[in-house]
Amino acid sequence: MITPLQFHLATVFLKIFLRDRQSIVFTLLFPLIFTGVFLFSDGEPDPIKLGLVNQSQSTLAANFSDLVAQEPLFNVTEGGLVELKQELINGDQTALIVIPTNFEDAKEPSKITLLLDAAQVRQADAIAKTLNNSLISIERDIREIEPMFSLEVEDIQARPQRYIDFLLPGILAYMLMNLCIAGSGFNVVEYRRRGILKRLFVTPIQAKDFIVAIILSRMVIILTQISVILGLALMLLNIKIAGSLLSLYGMVILGTFIFLCIGFFLGSLAKTQEAIRPIVALTTFPQLILSGVFFPITSLHELLQPIAQALPLSVVVSGLRGISNDGASLLALNSTALGLVVWMAISFFVAVKYFVWKEVAN
Amino acid sequence: MDGISFSIKIGEIYGLLGPNGAGKTSTLEMLEGLNDIDGGSASIDGLDVSTRTHEVKKIIGVQLQANEYFDRMSLSELLVLFGKLYAQSPNPIELLKRVNLEDKASAKPAELSGGQKQRFSIACALVNDPKVLFLDEPTTGLDPQAKRNLWQLVRDLNDSGMTIVLTTHNMEEAEYLCDRIAIMDQGKIIAEDTPQNLILEHASEPPKAKLHGNIEDVFLALTGHELRD
Repeated sequence: MITPLQFHLATVFLKIFLRDRQSIVFTLLFPLIFTGVFLFSDGEPDPIKLGLVNQSQSTLAANFSDLVAQEPLFNVTEGGLVELKQELINGDQTALIVIPTNFEDAKEPSKITLLLDAAQVRQADAIAKTLNNSLISIERDIREIEPMFSLEVEDIQARPQRYIDFLLPGILAYMLMNLCIAGSGFNVVEYRRRGILKRLFVTPIQAKDFIVAIILSRMVIILTQISVILGLALMLLNIKIAGSLLSLYGMVILGTFIFLCIGFFLGSLAKTQEAIRPIVALTTFPQLILSGVFFPITSLHELLQPIAQALPLSVVVSGLRGISNDGASLLALNSTALGLVVWMAISFFVAVKYFVWKEVAN
Repeated sequence: MDGISFSIKIGEIYGLLGPNGAGKTSTLEMLEGLNDIDGGSASIDGLDVSTRTHEVKKIIGVQLQANEYFDRMSLSELLVLFGKLYAQSPNPIELLKRVNLEDKASAKPAELSGGQKQRFSIACALVNDPKVLFLDEPTTGLDPQAKRNLWQLVRDLNDSGMTIVLTTHNMEEAEYLCDRIAIMDQGKIIAEDTPQNLILEHASEPPKAKLHGNIEDVFLALTGHELRD
């Protein structure tokens, strides 16, 4: 299937890449930074800085402030009203609660004031709810009643699933798309601009030879990058991959093929070096939003969902996620497999059919 | 192109001469299968260029005006690559010897001077041992030493039996190298013959006392024929 010419050309492209020290440094740096970002954020939000002013001397108030201090969502600083208010204004505190002097076991309900800058605090609701919960549990303690209900969250697939387990396959697919389109689309425009493609196509070479060769060489580079990321994710982020690594790599290879071919098509579409950037952005950015990288496609508007599901990035994301999260095999991903085959056919066809090697107008 | 018609004999050096924008390169690119021919036809060695482009490409060698190559590849690696494109395995050192670049085998194209680049382009065009060699303004931008050196190379290749088609806007080059010349202007061929016949026919008055050489020969006599690459 792969001719000796295509193979030789692929080794040439690989050589060109391996001799470019700068690009190698960045190629390896990228997965490191990528993993590092997750290592230090690991999906858990930072505790909210909460100032607490206790103006009451009662044991009840002391209990309440203890409970609030134990809440992992908060990072509590106790202090006086004036100084903490100033800190809140300065942005050193996110919110401030004030326990009034009359906060005691009185007959009338006691009022606690929560001070915050709502424009700055996205978590205003969450803070208020958590405080309410603390108040309710204190109240239960005082009235000596047991809670009637408790809510237990259970994953129906019975496996520990964190947001990062959901996110990683999506990010991996998005990264794959960007690496591929940069690897083929931008290269083609540059080679064409410099007349290198024209010189190549004075010989009996055919568009598919050139395309297959770039796909082969890029595949090697991208599989190396993905391996580094996966290796780091498995070791450092404690990511669990439910399916087989073979299926995962198979999926990556198919995705690489599709995105490289799309890159060739975009490279042929773009007449100039300046045009390729917006064309690529226009293709990749909507997919980042629509393809379920950060949140499931089912959370989109109903009208958008069928369109979103048909996008090439969605197909690759759902394939990778199926393998990584649900332990699916590459061969068993029914609708995804169909989408993959269709996109492979479409992208290879348009890449070869519309391949432009002739020099374009200056 | 505006209804041009010409034929090139096996083993000759044929020159397309004309000012910039006359259509020399477009004509050449039609013969090379790079430009579509929308009316009429062209054939090389009995092969129609429009319908059998792939076969035509196998028997021609082409040096384009823009001669850029992949970065970070040495001359000999590039020659091996071009050989593969024809499913052949030429000896890169032999090819570089033919164009006097054997000591640059491991150099990168970006490290070459203008004249060396042109000679390397010709080496690339020779990997398939072509029947016809197309050269598009091979000496434009070269200094006199490099130019004369390239002329000698073209002569040598022609002596080995290769048919050569070249474009130029240098009259002296056309006169010195070409067996026959077509003068083009605004997409038309306005004259075609041997240089001698064209001079007899069109040069209004032959100079009374024949001048030997010109200012370029003076320049070369003073600065020497040695290459300044």
